[in-house]
Amino acid sequence: MFACEKSINGETDVLTLSRVTRRYGANTALDGVDLVVPDNTYMALLGASGAGKTTLLRLIAGFEEPDQGEIAIHGERIDGQPPHLRDIGFVFQNFALFPHLTVAQNVEFGLRHRARAPITDDAEIRARAEAALELVGLAGFGHRGVGAISGGQRQRVALARTLVCEPRIVLLDEPLGALDANLRARMCDELRAIRERLKVSFLHVTGSETEALTMGDEVAVLAGGRIVQSDAPEMLFTAPRNAAAARHLNAWNIFPAGLCAGGAAQGEIAVRFDQIDVSPPGAVPDGRPHLAAQYLTGEFNGPTALSFFRAEDGTLLQVVDHLSTPRLPELTEGARYDLHFAPDAARQFHGAA
Amino acid sequence: MQSRALRPVLATYTALFLLFLYGPMIVLAILSFQGPEGGPQFPIQEWSVYWYKHLLGFAGTSRVSQLPVGDSLLRSIALAFMTTVVSTVLGVMSAEAFRTRFKGSGPAFYLIILGMMVPGVLVGLGMALLSNTLGLSRAWWSTSFVLHVVYTYPFAFLVMLAIFNRFDRSVEEASLSLGVSPAQTFRRVTFPIIFPGVLSAMLFSFTLSYDEFARTLFTAGRALTLPLAIYGTFSVEIHPNIFAFGVLTTLFSFTLLVVYGLLMKRFTARAARFHGQEES
Repeated sequence: MFACEKSINGETDVLTLSRVTRRYGANTALDGVDLVVPDNTYMALLGASGAGKTTLLRLIAGFEEPDQGEIAIHGERIDGQPPHLRDIGFVFQNFALFPHLTVAQNVEFGLRHRARAPITDDAEIRARAEAALELVGLAGFGHRGVGAISGGQRQRVALARTLVCEPRIVLLDEPLGALDANLRARMCDELRAIRERLKVSFLHVTGSETEALTMGDEVAVLAGGRIVQSDAPEMLFTAPRNAAAARHLNAWNIFPAGLCAGGAAQGEIAVRFDQIDVSPPGAVPDGRPHLAAQYLTGEFNGPTALSFFRAEDGTLLQVVDHLSTPRLPELTEGARYDLHFAPDAARQFHGAA
Repeated sequence: MQSRALRPVLATYTALFLLFLYGPMIVLAILSFQGPEGGPQFPIQEWSVYWYKHLLGFAGTSRVSQLPVGDSLLRSIALAFMTTVVSTVLGVMSAEAFRTRFKGSGPAFYLIILGMMVPGVLVGLGMALLSNTLGLSRAWWSTSFVLHVVYTYPFAFLVMLAIFNRFDRSVEEASLSLGVSPAQTFRRVTFPIIFPGVLSAMLFSFTLSYDEFARTLFTAGRALTLPLAIYGTFSVEIHPNIFAFGVLTTLFSFTLLVVYGLLMKRFTARAARFHGQEES
């Protein structure tokens, strides 16, 4: 349903997936995925583990074939083509460097041995590999063995090896998953910067909503085998279009609308963690929808504090309080409170996503 | 505490076990330096290298006829070499095929493995009968060769299967995604990584074929392989020249092992770097 969205500024779309379906026996991993990756875009694909993110990338790269649907690059259909003719870069979660080659040989590999238009001029290969290593901040590391460098450096080699071939789009399969937290933050910035310099589209798969929102110019959410929403990060975060998308952002309470007093709405309601206020029972300001809940416990996370409540029907609700601007009263574990929110803070979803 | 008492005991046990294992070989090696008048047993009459000279034809006239190993040795080496090449290629190819489950892969697996399980005398006899029925003449390079491949191919196959079992497919996919064709990917990525395994498969095939007896006995025809030729001399009379020959072939095997070890060392040095990648 999002495939028909026009991309902004008249830019062309690089990658188009329409109704792509992939089944494993009785399991349907992907169930009619529609996805558009515009030109010159950092696209993040957010999904829980097991949602089929990696499967989707493998279908695009051609390591597996879809059971139904079409995959096209610049309008030209590529499903059914062998992977080595698709001209799509792939950065693996485990980096998948060639263990028997040096860093430079890894980077030169594609230029030297590819089936289409291999480069035979040794000097040119070396110059381009060196330039690619410089781009990822590894100038002068060429002679090292890939076992003699750190995890972050391997990640960069994997990236340089892919980028040097100038693919039409680069697929990144949880590229930061194998790195520690500090390194991850730094690689985030560098990935964005590198992409901006090269102006090639990245499709970055991740299970972390923070990573997706930070990295993506656009974020697509994959749930239940479909893309449930594809939007700019701010749009997605502030206005998820359905419960499935909201659930993946880890910032929204989702509960049946019937729980709220003072609102006869149907379906499900979502309210962001930071837009719920807490009052003692009966002290809710006028005009604000509210629901009763029991305070369970709190969790201190540094700049923010999370409070957990259980509503009458057992739904777990979370409220975020920022240390600098506290707005919650003193809370006693096990006591009952009224949770309330501004009427326009709630998003209402009808039916199942 | 416990290990302090246990260690010397285990060490002695191991030493005795090794002695038991290599005892016969040591006895043969000692007896090979028997004097010209001595027999194939103790005591040593006189220390000499006479039987080595005899073996190589430098001993002049002798009451003992020269060991007829020259041609059979060449035959055995040629046969082992042919077997090694064919078995290893087949082993690599079929193990590669078994990386994906295909229809009938279960039965195919057991049919391949059967080749090393069935008694050698039986398949040897069976092959002899078959070739008689079909009117084919038996020879070391035809009927024996086929049986040697049937016998050694499962070993090569199993070695390669174990290697591919630990093989990380994503490096091949990485190569494909760089635009490198499947054939080039095999040549430039897969093969260099599995090469230590290929080397092991070759070593297995060569040594198994080189001293194969039962399967060759009925199928070699007129021209004998080395194990058959040596066995043939036993039935007449045993002289120490056989021991001298045993020592020389053992040295040859050791040379093969050393070459294997050196090649292996070179490649595991690279594999060690690879493991570093997995850990961090």
